[in-house]
Amino acid sequence: MFKKLAVLFYIGSIIGFYSCNLEKSVNVELPPYESQKILECYLEPGKPFRALLTKSSPYFSELDFSDLTRILATILEDSAKVQIKYGNQTVVLTNTLSLDQINEKVYNYSSTELVPADYSSEFELEIILQDGKKITSKTKISPPVAIDSVRVEYNQEMKARALTYISDNPNTKDYYRRMLNLNSLKDSIPKQDFLADDQILQGSTRLVFGSGFQFKKNDTLYNSILRINKDYFDFLSSVKNAVSNNGNPFGQPGVIFSNLQGTTNALGIFTGFTTVRDTTYIR
Amino acid sequence: MNHIRVGHFLAVIFIFFTHYLNAQVSLSGTVTDAASGETLIGTAIEVLEWNTGTLTNEYGFYTLSGPSVENATIVISYIGYKPYSIKLNLSKNERLDVKLNPDSEQLEEVVVTANSYKDRINSTEMSTTSVTPLEAKKIPALLGEVDIIKTLQLKPGISSGSEGNSGIFVRGGNQDQNLIVLDEAIVYNASHLFGFFSVFNSDAIKDVKVYKGGFPSQYGGRLSSVIDVKLKEGNNQKFSGTGGIGLISSRLTLEGPIQKEKSSFIVSGRRTYVDLITNGINSANKNKENYNQIPAYHFYDLNTKINFELGKKDRLFMSGYFGRDAFAFTNGNFDFNFYWGNATGTARWNHIFNDKLFSNTTFTYSDYKYNINNKLTGFSFDLKSRIQDANIKSDFYYSPNSQHLIRAGFSATHHKFTVGRLQAGSDDGTIKFGSGLYPEGAELGLYAMDDYSFDQNLKINWGIRLSSFIHKDKTYFNFEPRAGAKYSLNERVSLKASYAKMVQYIHLISNSGVTLPTDIWYPSTQNVAPEISHQVAAGYNYILGDGYLLGHEFYYKWLKNQIDFKDNARLFANDNVEEEFAFGDGYSYGTEVELEKNTGKLTGWIGYTLALVKRGNFPNIMSGRYFSPRYDRRHNLTVVAMYQLNKKWNLSATFVYGSGDLTWLPIGKFSFQDIDGTQINFITPSYGDRNTFRMPSYNRLDIGFVRTFKHKWGESDLTFSAYNVYNRRNVYFYYTDIEFKDIMQGGVTIQVPSKVALKQVSLFPIIPSITWNFKF
Repeated sequence: MFKKLAVLFYIGSIIGFYSCNLEKSVNVELPPYESQKILECYLEPGKPFRALLTKSSPYFSELDFSDLTRILATILEDSAKVQIKYGNQTVVLTNTLSLDQINEKVYNYSSTELVPADYSSEFELEIILQDGKKITSKTKISPPVAIDSVRVEYNQEMKARALTYISDNPNTKDYYRRMLNLNSLKDSIPKQDFLADDQILQGSTRLVFGSGFQFKKNDTLYNSILRINKDYFDFLSSVKNAVSNNGNPFGQPGVIFSNLQGTTNALGIFTGFTTVRDTTYIR
Repeated sequence: MNHIRVGHFLAVIFIFFTHYLNAQVSLSGTVTDAASGETLIGTAIEVLEWNTGTLTNEYGFYTLSGPSVENATIVISYIGYKPYSIKLNLSKNERLDVKLNPDSEQLEEVVVTANSYKDRINSTEMSTTSVTPLEAKKIPALLGEVDIIKTLQLKPGISSGSEGNSGIFVRGGNQDQNLIVLDEAIVYNASHLFGFFSVFNSDAIKDVKVYKGGFPSQYGGRLSSVIDVKLKEGNNQKFSGTGGIGLISSRLTLEGPIQKEKSSFIVSGRRTYVDLITNGINSANKNKENYNQIPAYHFYDLNTKINFELGKKDRLFMSGYFGRDAFAFTNGNFDFNFYWGNATGTARWNHIFNDKLFSNTTFTYSDYKYNINNKLTGFSFDLKSRIQDANIKSDFYYSPNSQHLIRAGFSATHHKFTVGRLQAGSDDGTIKFGSGLYPEGAELGLYAMDDYSFDQNLKINWGIRLSSFIHKDKTYFNFEPRAGAKYSLNERVSLKASYAKMVQYIHLISNSGVTLPTDIWYPSTQNVAPEISHQVAAGYNYILGDGYLLGHEFYYKWLKNQIDFKDNARLFANDNVEEEFAFGDGYSYGTEVELEKNTGKLTGWIGYTLALVKRGNFPNIMSGRYFSPRYDRRHNLTVVAMYQLNKKWNLSATFVYGSGDLTWLPIGKFSFQDIDGTQINFITPSYGDRNTFRMPSYNRLDIGFVRTFKHKWGESDLTFSAYNVYNRRNVYFYYTDIEFKDIMQGGVTIQVPSKVALKQVSLFPIIPSITWNFKF
């Protein structure tokens, strides 16, 4: 009796095992979607005034990404009038496609004027689109934060890690972005890219960013720290959250934060910061 | 002369009235199982000459009053037991303690069928459901793990958050709006393994009762349900044991008398053992280069109880629960440990003052915590959250006559919270940072209620609960009226209605649709007002022919001061977590139909729920517009059937159908360039309104059969089950699959998406299981 029952169970298990394949592609009909204007405009002292204005598309719409020209034609939003005011200055950005060879980024609106290291003035953005609708925003440039020191430590397997120390003012509410690139700034995705706000310091004045023991001798680390404002912190957090929780059954996605206003439904960020970078050669 | 006539008249009235009052006698006592000594909850006691009856309370005690009768017939009946009848002289107050014998002739229809449904017809109680461990054991279970909570999810009005999850959503309420008590101590996270199994070991459980509405006044603190789980007391007649060996866990329960018929104990434990296998594999491979250790996971739980009869009027009980889940992962860089679990303790004293007055006084302690720690070389990280409760409560049951059953009492709880305590830093102390909140609060309750019978047909239950919560300088105070009514049209049909206001002072911080151990509890504070609900319900019960009971209810629930979370809320290690809260309201309504049969060879039920829930008016969410939460399922149908083929074989089947859960899919995509490097994220998802996409309907069929064997030493059975017999791929979640390709531009390689597809992931295919159970 037991033997018969055991055989039945084994057969059942085999059926179960070969019944796997628990994943499949599906087609769904999503609610109708109206394209939005997407703006990224970063004011970095010493760099030109520039912005990237694009448009969004329905999530499952077809992609024609066979080359860069087609990509840009799909996403760019041109023919808008863009200007940025600060103090009694007005900077007009022209609708020209440009590529920054240093950071490898594309902009479709730019000026030859350079962003001043002005940490007190308010910068006002105004964009008038081809259909007459407006996008507006305001921001200030966050002053840079100094990197106190970078310490390299080795473990027993001769792998290295880097500890980057900065000072924080406990009397102000500060936000930081830290990026760690390995061996190249140009085409590598940062090894680390995370955000921090100083409330975790609980009054302490020193903040350290660490890494795992993942580097070796002769590696070059590009350690970038940005002091950023709350708008940029919230925007980046919401983008990371949306990307990481997309399809995560334990997570909760969210609407992308935007500090853009106006008469059109725009999404994006207008902000200012200075990147402070330390280059460490691991000996 | 007139004075004398008035005097005579008053004397006659006085004599008549005194005689009437003095003619009331009481019959009281306890009802227990003759084989084990366990008290029996909800046993029906009738005195035929009084044309009235009552049920034993949750401590097995009953009291009845009526006029003096010389040769009264008392009938005591309980499902699964042989009925008991006795003639008694009720010319004065009498104490009658009864031991009922289990009905071992399972094939015969039990005469008490009509009576057990009759009690439900006659009671003002509505919106309740119950499950016995025996039923739960017969129903096919996922991986063979009998789970009381999963069995409850098969009842109308109660649903789970997602496939396989032990979270409970009742009549549109969120998962933290359920008061789950184990022997009167609160259980804060009733799940093992991220919600796949509940913490309740069915071998140790005597009774589970769920209130979905019409809440009696003794309950407070949660809006949507009360799940009252009672542990067994232990066999005070003889030493016995039960246990089982299953696919993923084994369990053993031992019980017996400390002093026969006076005191007993029960100890019940359960543990998984997959980690024993993975630890063995890790150990065998530890010297292999580049070997990645398999993470170790296990859970266990332990229930213990002892009870003592301290004379005819006093009984003392002490019980405890301890459960843990532990996950560990170690390699060259990490030493990661994650554990979570509950611990509860209860000390309870039952006292019978006299034939009319009974009391229960309880001290409880409850502790839920989780802890994550990770050690790297020279650095450590430790995160924990915790809630600890110390509670004292006392309940008095008073039955002055056959018309009134009065209950009153109080409860006081001290809550201590540890919210997101993070400590991280270097071992030498030069670097350290952290966060953490440690609020406390006191929750008080005072209540009184009366179950009053106007006559045979009309009965009302009215009550009031006064509750209060104190946190620092802030005190919240609320009146919570409760009312219920029953009108019997005849012996088979009764109409019922109820109203209850409930207030909840502590809240679960979670924005996930599943039960996660990292969900944390938070008190009402200066900025966080208590949540409030008002629920009305109306319905009827109808005994159909041949042992069927039909129940049908409608309900409407208003929800105030509901808590949700802003988009992208930072709930992790955030000392200003209140800033992430959003406050709004909600409403839910629906109808539930249940047809059940609990006697004869074929037993089971069919339940259907049609329901809707909406939340809204949150200023930072969707501009205050109303939206549906993930667990808003429109339709829910369950069919549960158990067939006792003969003494050796029992067959069972469960069919579940429900509308799919709602999910939040991105509706747009945009390109995010960022500030450095050649990479651009061309498929950054953009989300619109919450939870607008309904997944396909969920359905599955489970079957099971039990083969029983008799041995000299006891009994055993082999339980086979197949979960999801027709192998339906029910959706667990969706995710986006993006295929990339490289393109060269100006000597630089750029990765671009070539295709975006939506993929559906299912969790459970057909899963057969086998468990061997034994009893001695």
